[in-house]
Amino acid sequence: MAVQLPGRFARRRPRTLRGRQIRTAYLFLTPALIFFAVFYYMPIADIVNTSLHTGPQADEFNGLGNYERAFDDPAARNSFTITLFFALGTTLGAIVFGLGLALLVNRPLRGRTAFRLALLVPYLTSVAVVGLLWRNILHPHLGILNRLLEELGLPTQQWLNTNPLATITVVTVWQIAGYTMILFLAGLQGIPEVYYEAAYVDGASTAQRFWRITLPLLTPTTLFVTVMSVITGLQAFGQAYIITNGGPANSSDLIVFHIFNVAFDSRDFGYSSALSVLLLIVIMVFTALQLRAGRRREVQY
Amino acid sequence: MTRGVRITIYVLLLGASALTVVPLLYMVALSLQTEGETLSGEAVLLPESPQWGNYATLFEQAPFGDFILNSLVVAGGITVAHLVFDPLVGYVFAKFDFPLRDTLFYAILATLMIPLFVRMIPLYVMMSNMGWLNSYQALILPFLMDGFGIFLMRQFMQPIPDDLIHAARVDGASEFGIYWRIVLPQAKPAMAVLGLFTFVFQWNEFLWPLVATTTEDMRTIPVGLTLFNQEHFTLWHLTAAGSVLMFVPTALILIFSQRYFVRGIALTGLK
Repeated sequence: MAVQLPGRFARRRPRTLRGRQIRTAYLFLTPALIFFAVFYYMPIADIVNTSLHTGPQADEFNGLGNYERAFDDPAARNSFTITLFFALGTTLGAIVFGLGLALLVNRPLRGRTAFRLALLVPYLTSVAVVGLLWRNILHPHLGILNRLLEELGLPTQQWLNTNPLATITVVTVWQIAGYTMILFLAGLQGIPEVYYEAAYVDGASTAQRFWRITLPLLTPTTLFVTVMSVITGLQAFGQAYIITNGGPANSSDLIVFHIFNVAFDSRDFGYSSALSVLLLIVIMVFTALQLRAGRRREVQY
Repeated sequence: MTRGVRITIYVLLLGASALTVVPLLYMVALSLQTEGETLSGEAVLLPESPQWGNYATLFEQAPFGDFILNSLVVAGGITVAHLVFDPLVGYVFAKFDFPLRDTLFYAILATLMIPLFVRMIPLYVMMSNMGWLNSYQALILPFLMDGFGIFLMRQFMQPIPDDLIHAARVDGASEFGIYWRIVLPQAKPAMAVLGLFTFVFQWNEFLWPLVATTTEDMRTIPVGLTLFNQEHFTLWHLTAAGSVLMFVPTALILIFSQRYFVRGIALTGLK
């Protein structure tokens, strides 16, 4: 007995402790498991299922009919194409301006906190406010921009008619560049100072230091920014809904705006579900491609 | 840095900041003009006689009080829910050992790859079947927690020493007591970041409130404002006044907790 007792306790204690851990873990997790099942996984299953159906109630089985229709539908093809241009344009702009601004505010300057804040403000503003504001500013007759151009003796613009897609791309870059600036800033501050000191001793020029040290060592940040901006760009909605209404002549009919209209204007849930699934696939393929390309270029330090 | 370089940097930064700030100041100016002034093309940054009454008119022309209340309830409710659930779930994944732990964690993390547009149609149908369209349930329930907040909390709680938790267990503390009195206080900085971000982004959210609301009195500010503008497209002074009001909470948060924002993005952006 005297020998068995400690052994029995040694065996039993961990077992009860582990049992308590498991019970507690699942107790604490239950609301989350229900939530993610109901509000994420069921919708995914549901949208795939709906995409295989047609009719006003989306209850007639249609096989891959909606997908075939999507590939033949010039309006859908147009939307996917311009959304791709939009996503690539906003990504390029966000990287160039975000990195440029990060390099500037990374310098030891007076008031750099104020600059960072001022540049971040548009990102924290709702797309509704940003959209309405720029629609007014760019308005050919009411907007302040044409008045400004007139006073400077420059030709006036009607970019929302002549270049709607480019215009909402620029407005979006205006909104998100401050965010990518902060991401690049964090990346810049993670680069060890010794590399720059060594380069300085070796007599490297500013340009050489940027191309040979800063840019390669920023690869993880650049990759993250690229993936994030492409994903966000492919899902943009408010810009089309608020600023251009997809027009003129569908030239800024971003795909989520298009899906929104097919679903809630035309009430075609089957077809709009198929378009949503296709967009999700496009997003996943793009993300996978970028991650693969990025990994190959990553620099270890 | 030479003087020339320093001046160049200042000029560039001043120019860029002007590009972001001046349009927003123009919005304020627009909100203080008469309807006639906004339509004359005589747009100015300093209206001669500021029309503060526009802000009152806005509440008469649209149920703007409802919009504000709805936005506060929805963004506030979602923020509270995130602060309740995200740390709790993050704690379980950081500190407990149980069957299927990694599988469940990745299943939750994978939901980050499921964007709103994919959930939009099924959620609309679901809410419609439940008779919940145009209700606070419809606006709040789909956003009670998210994989991102849970991931953030898990990362933040992992460094908390296991010994601290074990000691409390040996002392007979209840599991919830351990979480509430020992773990949660340590997570306060991360929760501040999570709460601020959740609130601002839900405050700004546009697509789902547009889909899920059907009557004017249930709209949140961004949706109410946009549809107001579509219905009264000549009342730019009122649209601008609404935009300014919408921006006030964000501005206050930015001013009083700017450090959280800049660090928060750096912290949360680069995992």
